[in-house]
Amino acid sequence: MSEHTPLRTVGAAVPRKDAQEKVTGSAVYTDDISLPGLLQGKVLRSPHAHARVVGFSTDKAEALPGVVAVVTRGDFEGMSPFYGYLIKDQPVLAVDKVRYIGDMVAAVAAEDEATAYKALELIEVEYETLPSMPDIESALADGAPELFEGDKPFGVANPYGTGASGSIYPQKNVCYDFNFEMGPADAFAGCDHVYEDSFNFSRLQHMHLEPFVSVARWTHDELEIWSATQSPFVVRKELARVFGHPENKIRINVPYIGGGYGAKNACKTEPLAAVLARKARRPVRLRFTAEECFLTNTQHASIHHLRTGVMSDGTLVARQSEIFLNSGAYADASPLVAEKAGYRINGSYRWQHIDTKCLCVLTTTAPAGAFRGFGGTQAAWASESQIDMIAHRLGIDPYDMRMKNLLNLHDPYVPKESGIDSDLREGLTLVADRLGYKTRRRQRGRGMGLSVVVKDGGGANKPAHAFVKATTTGGVIVSSGTVEIGQGSTTALTSIAAEVMNCERDRVSLAPVDTHSSPYDQGTFASSGVAIMGKAIEIAAEKVKREVLEFAAGDLDCDPGDLELLDWTIRKGNEVHPLPPMIMKHYGGPGFEFVGHGYYKLPEDHDAPLETQISYWENGWGGAEVEVDEETGQVRVLQLIVSSDFGRAINEGACRGQDEGGAMMALGQTLFETMVFDGDTLLTPSPLHYRVSLARDLPERFESILQEQGHGPGPFGTKGGGESGILPVASAVANAVEDAVGVRITDLPITPEKVLAALDRQKATGEG
Amino acid sequence: MDSVDIGFILNGREHKRAVRPNQILVELLRGDLGLLGTKVGCDQAVCGACTVLVDGDPVAACATFAFEIDGREVRTIEGMADEQLHPVQQAFVDNAAFQCGFCTSGMILLATSLLERDDDPDQATIREWLSANICRCTGYMMIVEAVAEAAKTMRKRAPGS
Repeated sequence: MSEHTPLRTVGAAVPRKDAQEKVTGSAVYTDDISLPGLLQGKVLRSPHAHARVVGFSTDKAEALPGVVAVVTRGDFEGMSPFYGYLIKDQPVLAVDKVRYIGDMVAAVAAEDEATAYKALELIEVEYETLPSMPDIESALADGAPELFEGDKPFGVANPYGTGASGSIYPQKNVCYDFNFEMGPADAFAGCDHVYEDSFNFSRLQHMHLEPFVSVARWTHDELEIWSATQSPFVVRKELARVFGHPENKIRINVPYIGGGYGAKNACKTEPLAAVLARKARRPVRLRFTAEECFLTNTQHASIHHLRTGVMSDGTLVARQSEIFLNSGAYADASPLVAEKAGYRINGSYRWQHIDTKCLCVLTTTAPAGAFRGFGGTQAAWASESQIDMIAHRLGIDPYDMRMKNLLNLHDPYVPKESGIDSDLREGLTLVADRLGYKTRRRQRGRGMGLSVVVKDGGGANKPAHAFVKATTTGGVIVSSGTVEIGQGSTTALTSIAAEVMNCERDRVSLAPVDTHSSPYDQGTFASSGVAIMGKAIEIAAEKVKREVLEFAAGDLDCDPGDLELLDWTIRKGNEVHPLPPMIMKHYGGPGFEFVGHGYYKLPEDHDAPLETQISYWENGWGGAEVEVDEETGQVRVLQLIVSSDFGRAINEGACRGQDEGGAMMALGQTLFETMVFDGDTLLTPSPLHYRVSLARDLPERFESILQEQGHGPGPFGTKGGGESGILPVASAVANAVEDAVGVRITDLPITPEKVLAALDRQKATGEG
Repeated sequence: MDSVDIGFILNGREHKRAVRPNQILVELLRGDLGLLGTKVGCDQAVCGACTVLVDGDPVAACATFAFEIDGREVRTIEGMADEQLHPVQQAFVDNAAFQCGFCTSGMILLATSLLERDDDPDQATIREWLSANICRCTGYMMIVEAVAEAAKTMRKRAPGS
């Protein structure tokens, strides 16, 4: 592991910056915001999976005392009432049809929640039901109904470079496809073996504890919103389009966010809250229940068909993949997830030929969107499972197979792409050694599995703006559009500024996120906060420091290069010059602020497959040891070891939390956690029915190894690491199960029923 | 019946209130008393974000009627720290045992109720006890470690130990 120069704040063993507020209950979240005259909003949702909305009767609801506004599609005057990432297909409330059970149909603003609920019961809606298509197979079947009939919603495909392409609505009930091809297709002809395997990936619910919530208020013609959103500027832009309202008259504030894991990207409650507040002429809080959150956004279930060609010595040669994502009823982030699920199917290996196709299939279920891992989780499950399957078929140890094929440090991921910025073999060796992989005693019923994963991080083509300012007496205020959603951005961004300004972190504060005063940001996603936004903050702080030194050099009549800044004093050799009197001598008693703007973005590169090279790679490693009970099919995880390379850790506690949090979320998905549907009906519709990982699910031994290999592009060599922990767990456990009892589970979660069925098949065929 | 008169001790102070018979404890705390540190997550007594202590027992304030606290003692996150943080709070700070913070108030109260019963719980006991609440961010290990550390601090401070 690389040696680092010790730094003052970065890497110091200090608490997270948000610690005091969060352990005392004083941290403010959106649900804590209250305004005079605040009304409560509630939503009427569709009981049908697919139906035309024929008509409404809202008179009784409107007449109920305490009801201030009832809104339906009739209240969209002057609006373009559809939103979405690349495709504007999701209505603020149903316009022509409802497309899943839970689709929003009407809404009420009332003096209190109970009255709002009563009013919902008084709204009558006439539906004309249509055939539904709850899954990928039924949506693609001949004769399937069409979810979007006639003219398609407005949408734009992303631009792509070498080998990549994408299109919107390429076929019926498919809202997007992404394709990537590299190297000669005849590479398959030279392979000793070609293996075809299929995998199913399950669908998780984000289950952020803080629900989707926003508070909206119109003051004259200005719309102000407080929202638990990961992308306030995107929400502002969408609201401007939806309402035909100028962006300067829309202001989004983001308090602390109670978890999101991807779900809180783009519009969720905000457009409807604004419609309600406009009609009610009073501020409205729209807070979804946990059950409604389950109906608002989910992970993508997926089907993967992989055809992989190899040489007998285990050399990987060619891979063809066909991936189907269950996108639910509206596109949401699906096109972008498809792009990444397709692009990441290579894993972190060397290939001669890749041909991948990923389709976003529309179904009559809740919309799927951004979920931690963003297509990478799906890709890693399929790819890292198949690596072990092939290794077993060839009689090669899966560890050796990986070591043979892994990309080297700095090898481009694919031609025209940036280089891998972690030593992947170093990481795999670390995890395998900690697990005891090489020295394990072989005994039936116990096994070990490994996984090495890769995800491009930082958000393709993502720009970052930041402001840093320093006050007369040396207070530093950092401002950016990155939101604190638990990942530790408050800690990381203030630490970076403190390091550059050479002051205590306590002298640095983070400004609240508010679209009127914070610099623009596309959103807090793709683990981009530390490395990409952090870079802009580093640049801004460097500018402030330079200005301060130049100012002091003028005052002291010397060269700025002779001066150093330390705790808001100027050091000139052995002389110490406090800055405040120097500043007030120059600017007068009221004082002054030094202000710096930082901007960072990788250049566009039309040769790169995704139009810009990937700024850094989130690499993750996982190892699991399991015990399989052949009587019950129960898989017990005895050891789970995960590791991520953060490049350099700004705060070890925050890094560890990201890695372990991702891994435990993944362990749930691996063993039991999943949204279960019976046709269109969600059988696990609330936290009562939907089981997530608890403390008692911790494996006996659960460790994360924090790597700081130092190759990241961010400040001091950092990379993002919010998503690597979720990626390797499912495949590592499935690989361990095969190692233990010789059966392969290709369908998540790995339940006792599936394991028993596989063991029965094994007995019947005499294999294993 | 429009209201019920109740009396209770909240964070060490006596209170008398008239509450609606169907008023939920968390509404009383957050709405009437302005104690916003108690969070509402699932609102169905599963996630534990709304955990408060009633006579030292952890309860889901989202699924408890306000009148149920009549004559009882209630502790919320706001009542944990005096001049300095409670040892459990300090251990959460020192172990980075939180991320988004939404479960943190409930987790701290849940852990406190354990340590007031058992001042030296083993790993298995801590894991089992904390399984009453959900943390979707941390992966739990750092919370488990914080609780073990808080137990150590509290044992050192306890009179006669």
